[in-house]
Amino acid sequence: MAEAFSLIHSDRSCLGEQSVSSQSGNRSVRVAEKERRKNEAEDSFVLALKYFTDVEAGTPVTGNDDFENHLVQVEKVAYSRGLAPEAIATMLEFAMSSRMGNGPCVRVLKCLLPASVVPQDCVVRAVAWLCVGKIPVNTKVLFVKWVLTVFDMIEAKDQLRAVYGFIFSFVTEETLVRVWHGYNCLCFVVLVRVFRVRKLLELQSKLGRQPFLLHLLSLYKVFCPELVTLSVPSRMRSGFKNHVNPWKSALIGVQKRNGLQVASGISLTVASKEKTNSRKRKLCHLELPAMNSVVNNEAKTEQSYSLKVVPLVQINSFAQLLENMHRIELPAQMGSLLSSSLALQYLDCVQDESALLRLNFWLGHAFQEEFLFSGDGGACQNSEETLQFLNRLLCAQNFLQEGFYSSETFLYKFLTLWDGSLFRPQILGLLSNIPVIPSSQIERLVFEPLKQLYFTSSLFFKCGLLECMTNMLLRWLTWHSVYALEDDLDISLNSHTSINMTLSGFKDSVMELIHFVGHLACVGLRLEGCHSLLLSFTLDFYETVCDTFLKYGLPLLVMPPPGVFYPAFLATETVSVDRLAFIMHRYKINLASAKSQEKLTEQAFHISRQTISEFNHYVVVMVNCLWNSKMFHTGPGVQLREELLVKSNVPQYWKRFDLIHHHAFMSYAFDFHNQVCGKKSHPWHHSKPWGWYVEYLFTMGFDGLKQFVQTLISPQLPAGITQNQNQQT
Amino acid sequence: MSLLKPFSKLPNINTASILLVESEEHLQQSLADVLVEESSITVNVRLAKSLPLPKENDKDRPRIDLVVFIINLSSEQSFISAEASLKYLDPGYFLGKVCFMVTSARSAAVPTERMDAVRKLAASLHSPLLFAEHQTSEGVAAAAERLLGILKVSAGVVPMTTALYLSNLTRCTLPTDIEQPSFD
Repeated sequence: MAEAFSLIHSDRSCLGEQSVSSQSGNRSVRVAEKERRKNEAEDSFVLALKYFTDVEAGTPVTGNDDFENHLVQVEKVAYSRGLAPEAIATMLEFAMSSRMGNGPCVRVLKCLLPASVVPQDCVVRAVAWLCVGKIPVNTKVLFVKWVLTVFDMIEAKDQLRAVYGFIFSFVTEETLVRVWHGYNCLCFVVLVRVFRVRKLLELQSKLGRQPFLLHLLSLYKVFCPELVTLSVPSRMRSGFKNHVNPWKSALIGVQKRNGLQVASGISLTVASKEKTNSRKRKLCHLELPAMNSVVNNEAKTEQSYSLKVVPLVQINSFAQLLENMHRIELPAQMGSLLSSSLALQYLDCVQDESALLRLNFWLGHAFQEEFLFSGDGGACQNSEETLQFLNRLLCAQNFLQEGFYSSETFLYKFLTLWDGSLFRPQILGLLSNIPVIPSSQIERLVFEPLKQLYFTSSLFFKCGLLECMTNMLLRWLTWHSVYALEDDLDISLNSHTSINMTLSGFKDSVMELIHFVGHLACVGLRLEGCHSLLLSFTLDFYETVCDTFLKYGLPLLVMPPPGVFYPAFLATETVSVDRLAFIMHRYKINLASAKSQEKLTEQAFHISRQTISEFNHYVVVMVNCLWNSKMFHTGPGVQLREELLVKSNVPQYWKRFDLIHHHAFMSYAFDFHNQVCGKKSHPWHHSKPWGWYVEYLFTMGFDGLKQFVQTLISPQLPAGITQNQNQQT
Repeated sequence: MSLLKPFSKLPNINTASILLVESEEHLQQSLADVLVEESSITVNVRLAKSLPLPKENDKDRPRIDLVVFIINLSSEQSFISAEASLKYLDPGYFLGKVCFMVTSARSAAVPTERMDAVRKLAASLHSPLLFAEHQTSEGVAAAAERLLGILKVSAGVVPMTTALYLSNLTRCTLPTDIEQPSFD
């Protein structure tokens, strides 16, 4: 109560300013005046509450000026600052007891805006009044809606759980049941009983498949999948609207005005982890709820220990978690798990299907209602909160090293509506976490929408998407190397689901992904004029691709398309050529080891001729151009007639792309020439200076090139260099 | 009936012209403000509520390189008007010089049938379908950036590619219905 009064104080102070006078002599008078008004306001509010406590049953409403004045007083306070717990209790008691008939009941309920918390006792008492049966149905509905709105502000819920049976009995009343669906908070696992499910099913057969019933059933199904065997249809969005609510906007206003004071008020009563967050729980569904839902005082703790259940919120260290692993009680609001690393540890260790199901349900709901189809058509006035939510989710997924099922389904839907810039880093992060998709679905779900976005978006989106795809591939390959079973037949896609995929199915998906990115990179490089940033991201991707066999044990090797190879090889930056050389070197090692395994064991995978011939072609082109100065010499690649080349008037056109004349290395050649040969013009294309030059390039840090030369041109260095060089005409 | 033709006039050097057609004029103006700030080429922005364009301005109208239909999904009228305007375009435009931009696609109030109808329309005309977050300035800037990318290609400013080639890559496809999350 005291808190409410202090708030009124500050409200009144601005009225005091109306007497505009700057003379200092008036000041003390003004202060006194303010003081007096404040006391008056306090008094009238206290009087009002006293009136509602003491008013006798049967007092008439019409023409009762006292009643009218007092109610106006209470409403004023409620809408400006919210009501203190005691005031809530008094007013709720007054309304539900119908001492002055049912008329004022609705009006009182509408102004019950809590400033901090709602005492549990008064809610339980109100439920008791509800059972008396004097109250008309629409008032009952209003009361239930109110409880739903302020549910998170009720200070403790243990007794409320005890009377859940009564509340449930109202389900039979058809009008009431329509608001019932939102009662997910009350559905604690222990409360799902066979008889309740049976009752619901009975009701459903009587009323037909009503969306609100299905909702409740689906909730039960989430909590206790084995009890509800009914199949719930997947499309249920129209089931209820959470945001249409008479209190919500007023409550937002009250809480905004109260600001931090409310948060501190809550933190006194509940052991909330994030104090500033807790006050907004009901206002913004994307906000992660604090893990406060269950027990929070000493007496309760004793009791729950005797029940051999430990609420997750009471566990503060990893050691405690290990001790109580077998008797953890999950919080009522599963979203709170995301914000606690201990809870995530628990999720990771315990293969608890129902916990994940509930978390996914919460997430799916949060995505669907608040983000994907936000009521205002996407005005992101709460973008800061959404950003935090997505970042937290990403953190949790990175911690668990896997994506949540519901974020995956959300993405498939969202990608088709995305503008390519809204929360781009977060969406791409979530996207890179999705588990392996069967190759029959992957095109439709992911590739098609991404393709449309990629080709119409900026260079930075293109780079971001390629990076995301690289991460996705990495994740898939890591999954394969961790979860592939001994017999190399089945891999479990996800540690928590039982979906299995055959090795060939997995290979198909990975191949689809690699080909898709190859296509993106190819056309993207062309559209962006072989931009070096895009090229760099493309090479990142192929650095993973070239090592699939040795590093991740996946019997699959895919060569880059010419549209990637040539831009990288003919790039003006030395680093791209160097990285390409490294990639070719890794391909060589992978292919060689796959070949040798093929000889050793029969069941090792067969590398297609196509792959090998592609690889050979690329190597021949590289070696001929860089090393042997025999560009356009042989091979199935670019063929130009001799006379055409002569006509081009390029002197020694066959040397244009060797290590000296290649535009990426030209500056190094100049540098080397100045350092070593000085002013004298040596014919340094001869073996000795060539060896020195190659050595010089290696010392400049071109390790990729070095490895390329060592594996693909000459195993011994630098003696071998001269040999190769001698073959040159 | 006067058709708007893509090749009836000569292009100007380093210039691209874009026509934004939107019946409700919500996004048009803000989009135009961002578009004209492009510095690498001169961008002419023309605004229209619907097609056909008035005959009297025909002389000083530049060659239109890209026609963008902006459809606000929350209004039926917006879609009907865009659909009606389409027939005043020369078929040559549908070789990569038309795109659809949809706003309010994430709104809960939008019936799924309307979204499907827009998708069908874009897919049947082999045109890209872009989505825009028109309520934030970042969203408008991002939408303008994407339009510029397409505009540059269709105006022939980007070497190695053509409008037809790009639209072949970006055109809208009809997705088969994506299942909502089921609780099984």
